[in-house]
Amino acid sequence: MSVTVLETKDLTYIYSKGTNYEMAAINNINLAIEKGELVGIIGHTGSGKSTLIQHFNGILKATSGTVLLDGADIWQDKSKIRNVRFKVGVCFQYPEYQLFEETVYKDIAFGPKNMGLDEKEIDRKVRQVCEFVGLDESYFEKSPFDLSGGEKRRVAIAGIMAMEPEVLVLDEPCAGLDPKGRNVILDLICEYRKKTNSTVLVVSHSMEDISKIATKILVMNDSKLAFYDTVENVFAKSDELIEMGLNIPEITKLFLKLKKSGYDVRTDIYTLEQAEKELLALVERGKKNAQ
Amino acid sequence: MLSDITIGQYYKADSFVHRLDARTKIILTALFLVIIFMCKNFLSLALMFVLLVTSVLACKVPMKMFLKSVKPIIPIVIFTAVINVIYATGGTELVSFWKISITTKGLATAFFMAIRIICLIISSSILTYTTVPTALTDGIEKLFSPLKVLHVDVHTLAMMMTLALRFIPTLIEEINRITNAQKARGADFESGKLFERVKAMIPILIPLFVSAFNRAYELAFAMSCRCYRGGEGRTRMKQPKMKAADYLILLFFVLIIVGVILLNHFFGKIV
Repeated sequence: MSVTVLETKDLTYIYSKGTNYEMAAINNINLAIEKGELVGIIGHTGSGKSTLIQHFNGILKATSGTVLLDGADIWQDKSKIRNVRFKVGVCFQYPEYQLFEETVYKDIAFGPKNMGLDEKEIDRKVRQVCEFVGLDESYFEKSPFDLSGGEKRRVAIAGIMAMEPEVLVLDEPCAGLDPKGRNVILDLICEYRKKTNSTVLVVSHSMEDISKIATKILVMNDSKLAFYDTVENVFAKSDELIEMGLNIPEITKLFLKLKKSGYDVRTDIYTLEQAEKELLALVERGKKNAQ
Repeated sequence: MLSDITIGQYYKADSFVHRLDARTKIILTALFLVIIFMCKNFLSLALMFVLLVTSVLACKVPMKMFLKSVKPIIPIVIFTAVINVIYATGGTELVSFWKISITTKGLATAFFMAIRIICLIISSSILTYTTVPTALTDGIEKLFSPLKVLHVDVHTLAMMMTLALRFIPTLIEEINRITNAQKARGADFESGKLFERVKAMIPILIPLFVSAFNRAYELAFAMSCRCYRGGEGRTRMKQPKMKAADYLILLFFVLIIVGVILLNHFFGKIV
């Protein structure tokens, strides 16, 4: 039995309430995220993904409903909302735009400093996270504005990781990066989870990226929670995903086509290994039938 | 806090005021501002107030939006009123203590000033709520085009205004985004002394400036790529046109001015 770390109950958020522009960004979301999962959050643009994650650390306050962190309402004590933000570290889209300090070291230290830690502890955290994201000491005194796009991104993500949050939430961490940069970030995320045993949530609209790393997938559609399930179970509902305007991995598409052409194959395939196994099994079956 | 800034915000609705030509609305707003300072007694002020309320109702923008635009200037209104109460002389003395004496004239002046400032804000809000920024700057460009004779580059000024107005919402959005990102790193903007609060703004201001400059470069680049070269010989896709309603309402305002002058003349001056 796994432990629930983050839970939402009937979470609803309405933008511009009381004006012409009134719109529910997220509508009645109920979900429970277990400790240690790597959850991929996918959905169409405007489906409410970003609004949803902004509730997890109390940047937005729900119009109705509650967010529970370790079983406690995060808004129970309004003055302690900052502590929630240290426990649920949210890294927003294009986080390099939040860099502001003179040096990389100082920028990464901003979060831990706000936690009120002493110099020694801050130094330990910054050095540890820098080593982890692959920024050696030569970067410490550089200005974050002189770095390349990929490096800036890593510094910004390190700034969140340095707070060592229980739950790490990343909104489109790979947006705007080249394939190599994407893989670096995705690997970092996986390693981070393994090393710290923390829960990680990654928002993306790339099914390929998500399917590579996630243990569970949360699908948002039209401000509502469509699915929250294991990767296989979600991809098994490919038809519905396509209907929502979501792209499914190319391999999954291939198996859907095979199925349609009359081959008896599974349709919840999303990695090369699974595909190989399933195709070999299909060939075996074919041979048997021929005999 | 920042979402309270309503300057340059357009509120979409279908109303008589929305359909007026931008130039008419600019002239009307300017006239209104002049007349509101011409009012010298309660009757003329009341007339202007009725006119303002009618305009607010006519433009079909919810009352809430106007309250929102007035809210940030309430401290200024109170400050001005207090200063006026203290410094105005004349009239009957009501109370006096230390070196300050409060007189009827002082109270009246304070009241007039408060109402004037509020009317000023509301009337300019009507202009921006009912006119899309591009129409507004086009209107300004047209109205000031006679200044070209004096070698004033009206087009460039209007373009700068269009861009400035265009980027207000973008920058507000940007500020919100950066604020949220820094909040997520535990930044604290709500507590501490004044100096600490100002210092807490640095993590917002630096990224804001960096991205504002980037945006400016990109925009200038994009404009040159589309062969923008200033106002010389430039034509418009939408040619604004003054209609009968525009001339009628202008005439109506002229009548109001006459009315205010008459009221001032016949019912005495309070301030």
